[in-house]
Amino acid sequence: MVKAHPPVSDGLSPKMAPGQNAEPWLGEKERFMLLLIVPAGIVLVLFQIVPIIFGANASFRDWQLFDPVRTWVGLKHYIYILNDPTFLTVVLPNTFLLMFLSVTLSLIGGLALAHYLHRNLAGQWPMQTIILLPQMIAPVIAAMMMRWVFNDQFGVVAAFLDWIGFGPIAWLAQRWPSFFIVVFTDVWIWTPWFALILLAGLRSLPREPFEAAQIDAAGPWRTFTHLTLPMLRSVIAVCVLIRSIDAFRSFDVIWILTGGGPARSTEVFSIYTYIETFVNLDFGRGSAAAMIGALIILVVAGVMYKAASRVMDVSR
Amino acid sequence: MARRRDGVRLLTSLALAIGVLSWANPAARAEETLNICHGGHPIMVASQKILDKWAKMEGVKLATTLIAYDVYVPKVTQMLTTGSAQCDIIWHNDDWGQLWQQYVVTTDDVAGIDNVAKQPLDAFWNDQHKLTVVPMAHTIGTFFYRKDLISDAEVPKTFADMVKIGQKLQKEGKVKWGYVGAMSFNNTWFSLWWTMWNNGCDIFKPIYERDNKVLAANDWTSIIDQPCHQQIIEFWWDALHKDKIAPEANTTYGRNEANAIFMAGDAAITVADSTFWGDYNDKNKSRVAGNIGMAPYPVGPGRSKPITWVDIWGWAIPKSVPPAHQALAKKLLGEMLTDEDGQVQMWNETGGPPPNVKVWDRLAASDPVFRKLKEVDFDQDHVHSAYYFANWPKVHKAYSDVAIKALTGKREDIPAVLKEGAKSVHDAAVAQ
Repeated sequence: MVKAHPPVSDGLSPKMAPGQNAEPWLGEKERFMLLLIVPAGIVLVLFQIVPIIFGANASFRDWQLFDPVRTWVGLKHYIYILNDPTFLTVVLPNTFLLMFLSVTLSLIGGLALAHYLHRNLAGQWPMQTIILLPQMIAPVIAAMMMRWVFNDQFGVVAAFLDWIGFGPIAWLAQRWPSFFIVVFTDVWIWTPWFALILLAGLRSLPREPFEAAQIDAAGPWRTFTHLTLPMLRSVIAVCVLIRSIDAFRSFDVIWILTGGGPARSTEVFSIYTYIETFVNLDFGRGSAAAMIGALIILVVAGVMYKAASRVMDVSR
Repeated sequence: MARRRDGVRLLTSLALAIGVLSWANPAARAEETLNICHGGHPIMVASQKILDKWAKMEGVKLATTLIAYDVYVPKVTQMLTTGSAQCDIIWHNDDWGQLWQQYVVTTDDVAGIDNVAKQPLDAFWNDQHKLTVVPMAHTIGTFFYRKDLISDAEVPKTFADMVKIGQKLQKEGKVKWGYVGAMSFNNTWFSLWWTMWNNGCDIFKPIYERDNKVLAANDWTSIIDQPCHQQIIEFWWDALHKDKIAPEANTTYGRNEANAIFMAGDAAITVADSTFWGDYNDKNKSRVAGNIGMAPYPVGPGRSKPITWVDIWGWAIPKSVPPAHQALAKKLLGEMLTDEDGQVQMWNETGGPPPNVKVWDRLAASDPVFRKLKEVDFDQDHVHSAYYFANWPKVHKAYSDVAIKALTGKREDIPAVLKEGAKSVHDAAVAQ
C-alpha cells in the first residue's frame, strides 16, 4: 500500500493563498514523480493491460481468426480446455516438469560456474566471456543450433556417437529424448544468467565468516553448505522466482526444437496456446488457454513469492 | 506579433500553392506504389519480377513486405479481417483459399485468366462462384530419384519396388538411405500423403472428393482407420523401423532436413515440390547435381495408376485496398498472366511451372525437363492436396499428430491409434 505523502514543506510546494484552506492534492515533487512514470505507465497500459483486456474478452467469444463473429459463448472455451485430456495429462505436467528441471539444473550449474569464476584464477576474464556466450545468443538461434547439433545425420552428437560405435539416435522422434534436448537447451541458455547473478552475490558476501571458518578448519563442502548457501539464500530465492515465471512461459526453444511433438508429447502451455491461436486460428480458445495459463502462473508465482519473502526474512 | 502572423500566413499560402501546383502537374505527382506481401519463396520473387517489369511501364512502383511462412496465414488473416490496406497484393494458396474468400476481390475479369488450368482453381471460388485468385505458378509434388544409381528399368513402380531398390543400394553401400522425405507437420505431403493417395485412400470419405456438400453429407467421416490407410502407416512404420530404408528421425524432418540428406548424396529417392529441381541440380549446393531423375509415383496395393497433385500458388487483392489500387493490381496481374516470355524466364530461373497453359506447349516442345515434368505430373490423374473448408488447418494438424503417434509407437498399436485418430480428425473437421 503506497501512502500519499502530505504536501511537502520544503519550499518547493506552491504557497497557499490567504484564506485558501484546501491543500493541493499533489505536491510539486509528487507531480514530478508522476510525470517521470507516465511514459512507462502509458506503455504498460497500451501493451500489457489493453491486450490482456482484449484477450480476456476474446476468451468468452466465438472468435475464429478468419471469421471473427465474436458471439458470446461464456465459459465454453474454458470448459473445453479444462476437459481436454491433452491439456491435463500432457501440457500441464510438461510445463511444470520443464520449469522444475530447467530452474533446478540451471541453478546447480550456475552455482558451480559462479564458484569457479569467484576463484580469481588466471585466464578468468576470457573464460567468463565464453561462459556467458549462450546468454548472448537469441534463444531462437540457440534452439536452431541445437536442432542441428542433435541432428541424427549431420549433427556433432551423431558424429561422436558414430565414432564411439553407436548408430545415429533419432533424438527428436521420441518423447523423452526430445524433452531432454529441450531441457538441455534451456539449461545451456540460462545457466550463465544464474552464474552471473550468483557471482555478484558471492562477491558481495563479507569475508569474515569465511576467514573464521578457515581458522576453524572447516572443509570446502562444509563451508559451502553452512556458510555460502545460507548467505546466498536471498539471491537464490529471487533468481528462482524470476526464472520460474520465465520458464513457465517458455516458447521459442520448444517451438524450434520439437514444435510440441512428436505427436504433441512435448507440448507445454505456451505451445498449446500458440497452436490453438495461430495454427487452428481459433483466437477465442487460444485466449482462454492464455488466461488459464496466466491464472496458474499467478497462483504459482504468488506461492513462490511468499516462500521467497520468508527466505529473505530468515536471511536478514 | 503582427509580423509573426504575416509570416505564418505567407508560409501557409506558399504551402497551399505548392500543393495545388503539384496536383495540377502530373509529372510532379508522386508515382503510385503497390505493396506486395508474400513469403519470400524464389517463385514469388520471380513472379514479382514479371510484375515489376510491367509496373515500370505503367509508372507504378512496387514495394515488398516479406512475412515469414510460419506466421503468414495468421498475420494476413488478421490484416484482412481488420480491413487493413497494408498490402495491395498478397500471396494466396489453395490451403487457405476458402479462409479468405470473403475478404479478397474477384478476379474473373483479369486478363488471361481463361488460359489457366481449371482444376487447381477449385479452392478459390467464393460463395457467388466467382474466382478470387490469379495463379502465379503451379506447385506439384514430384518423385525424384538418383539417375546415377537407379536405371530406367529399376525405377520403382510400386511401394514394394521402392523398398527393394532402396535396400539394394543401401547394402551395396551406395547410399545411407533408400528414401528421405519431409514428414513433420506441416510437410505431410512428402511422405505420408503421396503414399496415401497412391494407395487409393484419403482422409475423408468418399476418397478424392473435395465437394464440401458431399463431404458434409458423409458427416466428414474420416477413413484413416480403414485398411487402405492402415496399410500406409504400416508401410512407413516398416520403412523406418524394420526395412530401414528411411531414417527413424524422418518423422521429425521438415523440407530443409530432408533436402540436406538428399543433396548430400545420402539418399536415393525423395519427394518434394518440383520447384526444388533447381536446387537439386545446383552444383554449388548439391552433390547430386546432374543426376536427378523424375518419375511417376510408385503405387500401393490399393491403386494401379499413379495419382498426383497439381495445385497453384497465386496472388490475391484484398477488398480493403482502395478501388484505384485494386484496378491497378488487376491490370498488372493480367499483364503477368499474359507475359509468356516472363513465365518462361520464371521457369528457367526457379523451376516454377507457368500458370498460363499456353506456355506449357511451348516449353514442352523446347525443354526436356519440362517435358518430363509434364509426363510425370501434369499428364497423370490428379487429386487436390488439401480440403477446402475453414477447419482444414485443424484437420491437418490433427491428422499429423495421429500419424506421427502411430509411427513412433509400437506396430501392434497402429490400429488402435488410427481408430482413436479417426475420431479426432472428424472432431477437428466439425469443430465449431
